[in-house]
Amino acid sequence: MQDLFYVTATVAFFALSILYTNWLEKLRKGAQDE
Amino acid sequence: MTTNGTLQILVFFAVLVILAKPLGTYMAKVFLGERTFLHPVFGWLERLTYKMLGVKEDDDQPWTQYALSLLVFSGVTMLFTYAVLRLQGMLPLNPQHFDTKQMTSHLAFNTAASFTTNTNWQSYIPEVTMSYLSNMVALAIHNWCSAAVGIAVAVALVRGFARRSANGIGSFWVDVVRCTLYVLLPIAFVGALIYVSQGVPQNFLPYQAATTIEGGKQTIAMGPVASQEIIKQLGTNGGGFFNANSAHPFENPTPFTNFFTLVLIWSIPAAMTYMFGKIVGNVRQGWAIFGAMSVMFLVGAFICNYSEQSGNPHFTQLGVQAANMEGKEVRFGIPSSTLFATVPTGASCGAVNSLHDSYTPIGGMVPLFNMMTSEVIFGGVGAGLYGMLLYAILAVFIAGLMVGRTPEYLGKKIERFEVQMAMLAMIIFAGIVLVFTALAANLNLPKDGSLAAVNTYPGSAYGGSDTTYGPTTANLNNNGAHGFSEILYAYTEGAANNGSAFAGITANTPYYNFTLGFDMLLGRFLMLLPMLAIAGSLARKKWVPVTAGTFQTDNGTFVVLLIGVVIIIGALTFIPALALGPIVEHFQMLKGVTQ
Repeated sequence: MQDLFYVTATVAFFALSILYTNWLEKLRKGAQDE
Repeated sequence: MTTNGTLQILVFFAVLVILAKPLGTYMAKVFLGERTFLHPVFGWLERLTYKMLGVKEDDDQPWTQYALSLLVFSGVTMLFTYAVLRLQGMLPLNPQHFDTKQMTSHLAFNTAASFTTNTNWQSYIPEVTMSYLSNMVALAIHNWCSAAVGIAVAVALVRGFARRSANGIGSFWVDVVRCTLYVLLPIAFVGALIYVSQGVPQNFLPYQAATTIEGGKQTIAMGPVASQEIIKQLGTNGGGFFNANSAHPFENPTPFTNFFTLVLIWSIPAAMTYMFGKIVGNVRQGWAIFGAMSVMFLVGAFICNYSEQSGNPHFTQLGVQAANMEGKEVRFGIPSSTLFATVPTGASCGAVNSLHDSYTPIGGMVPLFNMMTSEVIFGGVGAGLYGMLLYAILAVFIAGLMVGRTPEYLGKKIERFEVQMAMLAMIIFAGIVLVFTALAANLNLPKDGSLAAVNTYPGSAYGGSDTTYGPTTANLNNNGAHGFSEILYAYTEGAANNGSAFAGITANTPYYNFTLGFDMLLGRFLMLLPMLAIAGSLARKKWVPVTAGTFQTDNGTFVVLLIGVVIIIGALTFIPALALGPIVEHFQMLKGVTQ
């Protein structure tokens, strides 16, 4: 059970990091369009 | 200061200066895809690796794809490491029969996060926890790859400066493969043989039983130490094969290996400044970065050495030699210990040959401050250069504000987005350190909480109790200002991906393993991604020609400005926390106050 918790936490962290990457790219595009 | 101390610092620095140009030139060739003298040896392996990975040598990824490759690679290898660690009891090369009793789930998470992020913080005692296979596969894969990833990101950022109106910043896979084959592997191969020649073991023997002169029994740990030790230092990883790390005679047997180790740790970071200059087409730019790093290193090294050599003034009044030898290996003494405290904490290397916890408050503050600057004093492989380039962006932005011009750096306009990203990385780093420190200094966890603060290591497997509960501060060896420094150091080294142990904190508990694990992950990836975003943004920009009004970034004025920005940002962010820890402790020491 604890293993599942830590594996899920790891996967969630990297998934959120991908979303974070997309957000930064949106910011970049926004700045470029200005 | 003794003559020995001064000479060690100066000779070490001279070796670094001599190495920077040839190694930097070689690395520039590797990452520009030019042929080197090692291509006849590794060329076939490079091509085979690309074939197996399904990538092309001339692939060019936009920064988002570069980042995605990095995240997928890191995530998958972290899960792989977690699995190997938890299953080590069922896997071969485990003569001591270590299993999940030693490698609990929270410890496996912490260790996997630690090695994936190039931190190599060790909440465990390696010789009673880790099988040979875990060391050689689960951990070693990260010692190589996390170092290569750091270098790859720095190279991508340098490309961002060097390219004009380009969409891509290179290929993550090509950069990692080239770095591993042409930079890390050859140096590591020769270096491991040098370690073996000095007495570092390289075997698969079970631990040996020995009888001491007094007739006592002693267990002597064995293992493939040299092959782990070399990449631990070269890749600025720092996780020791033994708990005593580089104070252990099997990891660091002679004064020569001590010096050699320090050169290994900073050889690539120093060379990368020259490589940067070569790739952007102006080596003076690289030397300017090298100069700023050098000044900060020399000041820190001399302060640390002077502070430990002076020791506690109250001892002098008692007629005792004042130099502070507490926590230092007698074989190395103060000069080799303080230099070893300054160098790896400037890099993201957790290697230690003395206990920083036992340093004088100011002596201990130097490694702490080195890490608080985001480790830009030469820094970790890759991490030092990209961290310093981040400060350089802020420095030209501030200079631009002062003279009323749009800031430029290396022919690229530094605009809103680049400054936003640079500040984001700075704020994230400070936020992680300060929030986690504040929590750990104040939390009192409920008795039935799943993240119990106190877990008496090594638990029931060794006759102790598995879990007790209470305040997080119950895991400290000291209270008051020094106890606070222990917590602050732990979360700083984690977020900075350093991994060195201040000691004095029992971190193998569910709470500390979990929070330090995330501290390391956030400190690595949430800072890397803005860096890559800057690279992507800069690569798309056109080149701005140099005019009479362009702010020079390859002279002494810029070096001073850059150092000022590093210190001011580091100081403004962390002085309040330092005032609660080492600074107040220093005044307590002068007044003779004990806690």
